[in-house]
Amino acid sequence: MLARCGPRTVLGCLLIAVALVGSAAQAQTDLVGAAKKEGRVVVYGSMETDVFEVIQKIFEGKYGVRVEYWRAASNRVMDRVLTESRAGRPQFDVVLTNRSPMLIIKQAGVFARYTAPSYETFPAATHDRDGILSPSYRVVVVSILHNTRLVKPEDAPKSLPDLLDPRWKGKVVMPDPTQHTTTAVWLANLQKVMGAQHGAFVERLAGQVGLVESFIPSVQKVIVGEFPLGITYVKYVHIFGQDGAPLDYVRLNPVLAEAHHVALGAKAEHPNAGRLFIDLLTSRLGLLALARAGEFVLVPGVYPPIKDADKLRVVLMDDLDENELKKFRDEFGRFFLKR
Amino acid sequence: MAFGAAQARRIAAWTVQVDPAVFLALAAGVILGFLALYPTVMLFVGSFSDAPLGVAGRFTLAHYARAYGDPHTYLLIGTSFVFAAGSSAFSVALAGLLAWITVRTNAPGRGLFELVALVPNVLPPLLIATSWVLLLSPRIGLLNLLIVQRLGLPPLNVYSMPGMIFVEGLILAPLAFLIIASALRSMDPSLEESARIAGSSSLQTARRITTPLVLPATLAAGILNFVRAIESFDTPAIIALPARIDVLTTKIFREALADYPPNHNLAATYAMSLLAITMIFVYVYRRLTDRKERFATITGRGYRPQAIDLGAWRYAASAAALLILSLIVLLPLGVLVLTSLLPYYAVPTRETLGLLTLKHYGFLLESTRVARALQISLTLAVVGATLAMFLAAVVAYLTVRTRVPGRGALEVLTFIPLAFPGTALAIGLLWGYVRLPVPIYATIWILLIAYITRFLPFGLRAMTGTMVQVQAELEEASRVCGAGLARTFRRILLPLLWPGFMAGWAILATIFMREFSTSLFLYTPRSEPLGPLLYHLWLDGQQGRMAALGVVVSLASLVLVALARRATKVPLTG
Repeated sequence: MLARCGPRTVLGCLLIAVALVGSAAQAQTDLVGAAKKEGRVVVYGSMETDVFEVIQKIFEGKYGVRVEYWRAASNRVMDRVLTESRAGRPQFDVVLTNRSPMLIIKQAGVFARYTAPSYETFPAATHDRDGILSPSYRVVVVSILHNTRLVKPEDAPKSLPDLLDPRWKGKVVMPDPTQHTTTAVWLANLQKVMGAQHGAFVERLAGQVGLVESFIPSVQKVIVGEFPLGITYVKYVHIFGQDGAPLDYVRLNPVLAEAHHVALGAKAEHPNAGRLFIDLLTSRLGLLALARAGEFVLVPGVYPPIKDADKLRVVLMDDLDENELKKFRDEFGRFFLKR
Repeated sequence: MAFGAAQARRIAAWTVQVDPAVFLALAAGVILGFLALYPTVMLFVGSFSDAPLGVAGRFTLAHYARAYGDPHTYLLIGTSFVFAAGSSAFSVALAGLLAWITVRTNAPGRGLFELVALVPNVLPPLLIATSWVLLLSPRIGLLNLLIVQRLGLPPLNVYSMPGMIFVEGLILAPLAFLIIASALRSMDPSLEESARIAGSSSLQTARRITTPLVLPATLAAGILNFVRAIESFDTPAIIALPARIDVLTTKIFREALADYPPNHNLAATYAMSLLAITMIFVYVYRRLTDRKERFATITGRGYRPQAIDLGAWRYAASAAALLILSLIVLLPLGVLVLTSLLPYYAVPTRETLGLLTLKHYGFLLESTRVARALQISLTLAVVGATLAMFLAAVVAYLTVRTRVPGRGALEVLTFIPLAFPGTALAIGLLWGYVRLPVPIYATIWILLIAYITRFLPFGLRAMTGTMVQVQAELEEASRVCGAGLARTFRRILLPLLWPGFMAGWAILATIFMREFSTSLFLYTPRSEPLGPLLYHLWLDGQQGRMAALGVVVSLASLVLVALARRATKVPLTG
């Protein structure tokens, strides 16, 4: 395009570019100033507190704006956000959690449109067409984790069907899919990986496993040795491994992951601080810090400090809407509730 | 004559109207009615609405059809009944024996037993249940390692109905201990003495005289604990789920709270059946305590019953008490301390003991979140327990001492919130207080209101027990000398009721220090108390930090209890 421009046009383009950069810089300065005036930002989310604190420290150090974080399981984050919004008393500025609950909150009209400067660096496929949710700046990868003291590398299962081996009966722990949404979404998504075997696999898996509430109790039972194998997030290999917990994971191919998003509350009390927070979280600085803390982020070539993280073929899960999830729970839930 | 009777009635009616007790009853009724009925009505209305909170809905029976049209619900009510009855009976058996040894015998070390027995009240049930998993899990449980390796027996399995009953019974035992020990202290010793003079042995006296005398209090403790067990979420979440045992609360959790998105209306519908079950039991409880109070008023002259001399058996009694205390306190607390010293979640074995670290305590010192939560919970404990006990004192006075009309209703009002699981009550409070134009939601005040609403019955129990022991003559003398109701209450009753007041205060303060199931729905990041913080450390998989904070909370609560003891200079079960 530049080739067709005359020197005057080029100069004009350059001036516009400089003006744009200048105005972006000015906008950023204004945003920081406005955020500082607001003094604090309230974030509701399901990110582990220790991981969140990495971002919190950078944000507070850089801008001097206090971050208040309310952490809960994703279902409860959705519950609280919806309840406060319906009652007309939203206390949050920013919400960050898994894709499925974020979509339900978005549908309820609780979020404002916002596009952070960093969003254009993410692949177009991860963008929200309505400009409300952030691109999926990070994903949570689900696999089989094992206790390295109890399972030798050569004995560890290599694939999901390996879990059905009689020697693992009663030795695998996973969240109860009838009460843990992400596990239900994961099981439903296995269909596209396993095809026709899917139904039989889920039914037989239900007979092999012990159940807990969510992914954290699942990994805890593996660490403490109650179960040698557990279905949970791969990032825990790093998060708990750095304290010495004996953990490794099965390199499933492909491995399923759920996208995460962040969004700004439509009735945020501190909208500018909220925007500034989203800017930092989804910026390269924020994402690199998250990766160092064990998160899989959407920056090419950047991986968490987990062995072979760069070699994984990560496939994003499709989200289930309310009706699909109910159908799945009715269809497969009964296998897990069987006594 | 007829005219005279009518006039007398008019005068009587007039007297009732001007009696300050009536105004007091009215004031207490308004406060209690608001505290108890407002969230209850919210839950009741919500159970018939087809829309969530904040959205105008239409009347529907769909939630009732879904909850009670499912035959599985009745099966689960049955399972919950077995669980609650079993754990309640177990808790009362342990607590009764421990209370008898501590209060009525000359077993050595009994002063210490009493203090130790209070400790589990300060530990969150979640921590006790997770500790017992480390002790009795079939694969890794420390006690099971002993049983299998040393004794060559098959391992015990905590993931079973007996396992659930065992753990829940241990969690419930301290409250039963407080109630039964209090009854044992206030009973008339002359009856036991008569039995001994008539030639009965100590054990015969215990069986024939002591047991029937404390039976009403024991049944009352059993019923309170039954209600607590049937609405408990903690033990079922930690033990029933891996055991794949469904109880009513796991069903409520699955279908209402973990639904997608959560269905609070359905949770409210389930809560209504718990309200019905509990109200039946509260009715029975009231009948039993009424009778107990008739027994108790025989005495109350303020002298301590004489200890029963067990002879050489007193060492066996001490050993039995120590065994019970090991189960309800020492073992789970020991596991908690070890967990707080390990770098990651592991079974404390000889191998892992080489890794001991103080880093989790370091975290507690550094974290501003911990400091803030400690400050908030201490405030809630001190202010909340004090306000609740004043309210309990007024209600106890009105129900025990006066003939004010509607005094029975006051007691029932107090007990209504106890019928709901903490989570369901929190939904009712949320629905109620989020609408109020007064800025209560999202502040520490809603937590204060929630705690007082939910736990007032425990305070009332302690207050009523003491109130019946104080002879009415003193109070009447004061009134005759011209002192008004307020003055009599302050100058005569309050000093006499002080031990009961502080006993109730200690129970409430320790519960408020660590309450989480109601708080979880109502706190904000700025008003985070210790209970939710402990829960979130668990949610983040930080078992070590959670255990360290649990140990610190226990110590802080013991300081509160010790202060309460100093303030009264009498045992807290008195």
